[in-house]
Amino acid sequence: MSADRLVIVDGDCDTAEIADYEATRRDAMRRGLIAGGAVLAAGTVPMLLRVSNAFAQSDGDVGIIEGAVAIEQEAVAAYDFAFKSGVLSEPITQAARLFRDQEQEHANALTAALEDLGGEAPEPPEPADVQGLTELRSEQDVLAFAIELENAGVMAYIDAMSTLQSPGLLKTGAQIMANEGQHLVVLRLAMGVSPAASVPSAFEAGTDGPPTT
Amino acid sequence: MDVACIIRDPISRRRFFGRAGVTFVGGSAVFLSACGESQDQKDEENEPSSPEADIDILNDALALELTAVEAYTKGAPLLTGAVLGAGEAFLAHEEEHAAALEQAIVDLGGKATAVKQELDYSALQTQEDVLEFANNLENVAISAYVDSIPKLSSGPLRATAAQIVTNEAEHVSVLLAALGVPAVPSAFVAGNPEALG
Repeated sequence: MSADRLVIVDGDCDTAEIADYEATRRDAMRRGLIAGGAVLAAGTVPMLLRVSNAFAQSDGDVGIIEGAVAIEQEAVAAYDFAFKSGVLSEPITQAARLFRDQEQEHANALTAALEDLGGEAPEPPEPADVQGLTELRSEQDVLAFAIELENAGVMAYIDAMSTLQSPGLLKTGAQIMANEGQHLVVLRLAMGVSPAASVPSAFEAGTDGPPTT
Repeated sequence: MDVACIIRDPISRRRFFGRAGVTFVGGSAVFLSACGESQDQKDEENEPSSPEADIDILNDALALELTAVEAYTKGAPLLTGAVLGAGEAFLAHEEEHAAALEQAIVDLGGKATAVKQELDYSALQTQEDVLEFANNLENVAISAYVDSIPKLSSGPLRATAAQIVTNEAEHVSVLLAALGVPAVPSAFVAGNPEALG
């Protein structure tokens, strides 16, 4: 997917600052600027930048896990909104509910780990805080959005693998990342690709955008 | 399908599990050795390792990947249609994993000494047999990678291992879907070191 699919509508953020951050698709994804073919509202960028900063600039496990909790909370909000949106077919509705519950399991586990480390979980976002989410109008919109959301999570966990110190957190992070990859498979299949194409790369890097079918 | 029937030769089975570190019998057992141990023991074993230990871990991973390459190669003739397409793609993925691991071993100054394990594939008679066997093999590999990640000494190696284990987990979802069972059964993909019996 090319970076030009990421469209930012100017809001109450400084566009030049955003452009500086969004030099590459990878950077954009790491900051949670979810595209999915949707037009994004820049007004929510500050929260997402804060999430990304926890991953990118943290010098310890607490900051990394705080960022991971925020990402998982965002995923919970997104799947919950999608589940209740009324635009999904029955099978996709059930998948969205399952994935919401699994993202909640991730958030709960990471929150417990964070509290053990002396940290405090951020407040869960409202749907309106997740940029682009409330603008989704069709099942294809939701699927593409969810793929970008999962991609952002995968990228964040890859980064976390390099920086986390705790063996237990490394193991848990790998298990969660693998689950996000499984979500990606289901989402890609739902977009109509073949089973082979639902696993497009031997190394899941979170860089394969929604399939174009 | 009775998976145990596939691995009829107990000597080969012990060699496979030992070399892969799967059941902690012989071999380096570095790659996976956490089953049945206390958390303190796990934490102790999960201390960051040296490049030399990394080479052992990567060779054990390579053995699993080479075994997976053979398994998908042996199973492919029993697959049809879209499932065959997936099997061929997964075979290519395992080959890519093996090549990357070999390169990483060389980059660390080591030698790729791993060899594929000799399994008995004669019990594979149907597409369903192949799907179930592949699912079990993938789960063994997932368990091994998840346990190995904290033991690898460098961030880039851990990141690459996480990308591989996520790919294996994705294979599992496709295999489960093809078997007609839930494709994402757990929020935490831990694999199963004893999936092959």
